[in-house]
Amino acid sequence: MKRFLNWMRVLISTALACLVVFAYSPAVFAFCGFYVSQSDASLFNKASQVVIARDGKRTVLTMANDYQGDVKDFALVVPVPVLLKEKQVRIGEQKIIDRLDSFSAPRLVEYFDSDPCARYEAYDRMRVGGATRASAPMMEAKASRNNYQVTIEAKFSVGEYDILILSAKESDGLEAWLIDNDYKIPKGAKELLQPYIRQNMKFFVAKVNIAELNKTGSQVLRPLMMAYESPKFMLPIRLGMLNANGDQDLLVYILSPKGQAEVANYRTIKVPSGDDIPVYVKNEFGEFYKSMFKTSYNKEGRKVAFLEYAWDMSSCDPCSAEPLSQEELRKAGVFWLDSPNSNQPSSRRIRPIFPPNDGRVFITRLHIRYNRDKFPEDLSFKETSNQESFQGRYVLRHPFKGETNCDAGREYQKSLRPRFEKEAQTLASLTGWNIADIRRKMNLSSLPEPIEVPFWENIWK
Amino acid sequence: MPRSLSRFFAVSTSLFKDARDYQILFLSVFLILGVSTRDWSLKPIAIALTFVTCWLTQIAMVSIFPPEASKQERWLSLKSATITALGLSLLLRSDSYGAIACASFLAIASKFIFRTNGKHWFNPANFGIVVVLLLDSFVWDNHAWVSNGQWGEDSLYALIFLGLGGIVLKKVGRWDTSFMFLVAYSLLEGLRNLWLGWTWDVLAHRLTSGSLLLFALFMITDPRSIPNAKIARLIWAVAIAVLAFIFRNVFFNADAMFYALFLISPLTVLCDRLWNAPRFQWLPRRFSIQT
Repeated sequence: MKRFLNWMRVLISTALACLVVFAYSPAVFAFCGFYVSQSDASLFNKASQVVIARDGKRTVLTMANDYQGDVKDFALVVPVPVLLKEKQVRIGEQKIIDRLDSFSAPRLVEYFDSDPCARYEAYDRMRVGGATRASAPMMEAKASRNNYQVTIEAKFSVGEYDILILSAKESDGLEAWLIDNDYKIPKGAKELLQPYIRQNMKFFVAKVNIAELNKTGSQVLRPLMMAYESPKFMLPIRLGMLNANGDQDLLVYILSPKGQAEVANYRTIKVPSGDDIPVYVKNEFGEFYKSMFKTSYNKEGRKVAFLEYAWDMSSCDPCSAEPLSQEELRKAGVFWLDSPNSNQPSSRRIRPIFPPNDGRVFITRLHIRYNRDKFPEDLSFKETSNQESFQGRYVLRHPFKGETNCDAGREYQKSLRPRFEKEAQTLASLTGWNIADIRRKMNLSSLPEPIEVPFWENIWK
Repeated sequence: MPRSLSRFFAVSTSLFKDARDYQILFLSVFLILGVSTRDWSLKPIAIALTFVTCWLTQIAMVSIFPPEASKQERWLSLKSATITALGLSLLLRSDSYGAIACASFLAIASKFIFRTNGKHWFNPANFGIVVVLLLDSFVWDNHAWVSNGQWGEDSLYALIFLGLGGIVLKKVGRWDTSFMFLVAYSLLEGLRNLWLGWTWDVLAHRLTSGSLLLFALFMITDPRSIPNAKIARLIWAVAIAVLAFIFRNVFFNADAMFYALFLISPLTVLCDRLWNAPRFQWLPRRFSIQT
């Protein structure tokens, strides 16, 4: 036992030492890949969106980045688990990602109190919350030289992108190759490239072909899609953190025929949901959501993934956007929709004895805010057969505005102030906002003070 | 000391003579801790169903396969069923009550069906979990899964697990198994980390996983399903670590530990034949319950 305790002491102090060392290493930070640029464009990206449609080992990955520099400087290096051929890469549609975003976005739900004097059915309405984002991506390749030990496994163009698939033997060589080919590599890339090389991963390198981009008549880069088969269900974030500046936001939409997905190597928790909040938040839902997310993120120690939405895509209730059509789902990468090949033996499972509902698509929206300190490991995901539905929703209850000249009405009026006060407190605890400001915005003081009726008044009636 | 008080102490000391009492207490603490602080999708009905199914199966099995123990001691075997139920509640997730009942039944039944010389081939909870996971992926969607990330990687939890786990293991005399497993697994992950060139916080993140510690301290230490001889236990623990490492890093299976234990577990029978050692008994001396 003593030896055990000693050993534990050593282990724990080593672990603590590691934590301390890394907690204070300079913040280097972005996405499943880092941007490399050919000029001094600000290397910065704050929020990325990834759609992963996966069944068994088959994956269709769509990446959209909110690249904020000049598109001609855009370049992307992403480790990918397999060698990709030209036919496995294509251009996606930003519109589809926006559709997924708005379909799964956290939402406000409005209710209107009924006339307390004349009961009738309340109806509800809801509003769509969520924002759309522009995507981004770019390139030109020179010939590879043998001494880099970098092999250009494939070279092709897709839309406005020039794409190279590289495999490398040594990170030194890969780094040198990227530098010699005019990619601006963030410091420390070499150390981070090596683990991927050792894991036998390949590198997907994309640059923008300006001439092609001009042909499209747009300055906005379209998402890139890739289809591959691999048991790895992960998203490399380490490399992306290298040139990021502060916390990164990543929205992952996982589409599965089975059920919810979760992060296997970090905790996944549900975003706070279902609370009644003051009606005025309707006009500042964006601000509210950002503050609320930040508050929960900090409260959970900044090391959890948030589940924002989980639903069978054939329905929604209430819908913040219409469910995606079969055509749109297919464009989002869902490949198992009434396709005769979806159950071939090469996929993960032996053909199930009772085939599951073919064509079912379950969406999981995960929101991950990460940085180098709290997310040391790349994200690995796990699909589960959990079909529980979940949505981030926030409830606005409008009080009844009309005349209330009955006992029930007076009771109702009396109940308003405590109710609003509770909403104010909920909002304050969700967002960390100042409660005095909230009360002022809600105009709480304008409400009649709930007058305590002296107990004797009712006795002598 | 008043007589009532001394009687109370007599009862409580006899209560905690059995290592299972500690195990039940600590696993219950984890369950309460998990439900209250970790925001799980645990449903009270599912937990109740797990317990009831485990107990009923235990009672039914004890009457079908009566052990050579006295009647009162048979009742004590419900403690083992309780530990299995706690283990299942802590680890298995499902939105289908059928899958939960199925796992609970299989867990307890496995003890009576797969046994040699009064020892189980499988850890009961592990058997239940792995079989329903296999059913889920190969036969039909019965909605069962394990949430590996649920405990997070808090050092606080790691310390609680290590502390409480240590007490139980000392009682059972099986801490060598957990220790060996953790050492072997850490070593393998450490070597991989070194070879890949990841920074050490990646390793720290992997090794402080609450699920890993829970598994190491409470699952692979069930004295009724692991080898009797110390040397055999050490080899056995290393084998599980190696297999878990391979499943996780070569086949990218997030539930690697459970499958590794499932596959290695039956080798206990072989180990006990190769290395002779007295069989573990929950209660000292005259008691010899066959759960």
